[in-house]
Amino acid sequence: MTGKTAKTIFWLGTLSSAIIFLWLTYDFHQQEPKFAKTDQINDQVVAGKKVWHKYNCNDCHTILGFGGYYAPDMTKAYYRLGENNIISIVMNPELVYKDSFRKMPHLGVTKEEAVNLVVFLKWVGTIENRHWPPQDEKFVKAFRLREANAQKLDKTDIIMGACGGCHSLETLGRKIAGDFNDIAKRISYDKDTLVKYIHDPQSVKPGTAMPPQNVSPETAAIISDFILSLKAGKEVQK
Amino acid sequence: MIRYESQKVARYYLGLALILFCLQVAMGLWLAINYAFTLPQGLVDVFSFATARAIHTNTLVAWMLLGFMGGSYFILPIECKRELFSVKIAYLQLLIFAGTAVTAVIGFLFGWTQGKPLLEIPVPLDFLIVVAALLFVANVAMTIILAKERSIIQWMLLAGVTFLAVLYLFGMPFFKDLNVDYYYWWWVIHLWVEGAWELFTAAIAAFIIIEVTGVERKVVEKWLYVETGLFLFTGLVGTGHHYYWIGSPDYWLWWGGIFSALEPLPVALMVLDTWMHIRERKNPIVNPLLWTYIMGLALFHFLGAGVFGFIHTLPPVNYYTHGSQITVSHGHLAFFGAYALLNLVVFYFAMPQLKGIEKFDDRLGVWGFWTMVTAMIFIGLIFGVAGVLQTYLERILDLGYRTAQMNMMFWFRAVLFFGAIFLSGVLMTVYHLFTLKKAAD
Repeated sequence: MTGKTAKTIFWLGTLSSAIIFLWLTYDFHQQEPKFAKTDQINDQVVAGKKVWHKYNCNDCHTILGFGGYYAPDMTKAYYRLGENNIISIVMNPELVYKDSFRKMPHLGVTKEEAVNLVVFLKWVGTIENRHWPPQDEKFVKAFRLREANAQKLDKTDIIMGACGGCHSLETLGRKIAGDFNDIAKRISYDKDTLVKYIHDPQSVKPGTAMPPQNVSPETAAIISDFILSLKAGKEVQK
Repeated sequence: MIRYESQKVARYYLGLALILFCLQVAMGLWLAINYAFTLPQGLVDVFSFATARAIHTNTLVAWMLLGFMGGSYFILPIECKRELFSVKIAYLQLLIFAGTAVTAVIGFLFGWTQGKPLLEIPVPLDFLIVVAALLFVANVAMTIILAKERSIIQWMLLAGVTFLAVLYLFGMPFFKDLNVDYYYWWWVIHLWVEGAWELFTAAIAAFIIIEVTGVERKVVEKWLYVETGLFLFTGLVGTGHHYYWIGSPDYWLWWGGIFSALEPLPVALMVLDTWMHIRERKNPIVNPLLWTYIMGLALFHFLGAGVFGFIHTLPPVNYYTHGSQITVSHGHLAFFGAYALLNLVVFYFAMPQLKGIEKFDDRLGVWGFWTMVTAMIFIGLIFGVAGVLQTYLERILDLGYRTAQMNMMFWFRAVLFFGAIFLSGVLMTVYHLFTLKKAAD
């Protein structure tokens, strides 16, 4: 091979690849809005993304598969965890992961930031990325199913969607803060107190480890009814 | 024994690079401890894994860039047959770069971050990095322009550092769209390590091979053209292997898959040409350790970047391995094999000359080399095993993240063990380089 041939190989290889790559980049920008649903990026999504950057979440968690591998991927976290659970975890990781083998730092995220973060993660979850990560696809499917049949939504879906990040109900949810069957047996609150407790646990039971919950009054009422009904059920059985 | 007075500036670059190398590996060991044991909440709150990882990766980039810059300043005068354009600029640039790096690391401890993995340095500090980079590119360019003789290595080096500096800019803006954010994030990360840095590595390796083996320049430069041509041909479109799962058109799977599958080719050529040049050497082997490093660079570069990259680059495989410990395995083997070893080749080439030693006592250095290389092969394999396990548990058996991680614990502890051995190898090497002595006759 002569020096001239070698030089030609260099320029041919470099320029052809550069031209293809730049063309692909142009086309990516043309098509990307469709995949990433860019019309849904509003101010709150952007504010949420800034929260994501501010606390350097991406150096422990992956998102779209990129970042640190120390904690779960967040691409489809909205479907996996649900709004209230994400807020509880982000604001009170030291409580949620009290008994965990791996800890999340308490970052001092405010309520407003946590809410924006959820909006951002919700948008990220809608990016059409060929159903990646594979392990979260089941959560996406379950979410879509619930969304499509809102009128048929089982009470347990609502309750575990809001409380399942810490509480369990038989085989559902996480076993961090106790099973609802045991809680129903133990508590002596009426419905109003229970609703108050869900929104501000300290005001009812000072010193309790449960963080305040970010659910609407209606949802809190549904949750309270459900827990109290478990109690009644047990008594009737006896 | 240095041939030009201005080559001396390299000493400070290389010295600082070696110190940061130690810090980087020590921080890596701390990350392994985070994986292998449960740390108290109070400690995690003040010094999180995220902060430690930002320091681990940023010190990596910092010491490697310092090594590249110091290496360039050392070889440029020889290659251009003249002094550097400006020694003052070289020192000023080092001051800005080092000052920014130290400020950035301290800033991370207090949560001052841009929050993008590997590019955590906040924007105001980014501008200082850009200033340092511009000074560097200008100094290199002026030295080359004022040289009486032109060579391929000169302009390949200049192209590499310019490309490197330009790409850094794509990591600085805030993008509202996460998808676009990561599209350009890879222009920095991928096009650095599989583009600009490869140009630079190929040029420096070619220069050192010419100097050490005495093989005819024309032959080496021909190889250099073909290799860098293939690096860029496969590497530019090969960026697509990062775009499979970000939300992109289907054809990326094909373009990214096929081009990136060809990426091992130029590295294989590098192994071949290094081996041939060493076999057809015209000079005697004065310092065997340097020759070991040159051959080690070629082989480990092929193993870590070539083979381990190829294994998971095709979309059907990558669907399962993406974002798992398999990526960690490839990352460690590739960075060590390609760029840590390249820097060490430069250090073992330049440091004896800077100290005026022709043949150095290499006993501790040999221990350092084999300890590092052996430990890193184990680290790569163990991360690989952990990654296969993670993929199987999480993505095939469908267990949760936490259950999978707990079942990987043995392998995290094994990584910690070999990480400690690796650190001892690094300390031996760095100590050896700082205290090089003449070999006894």
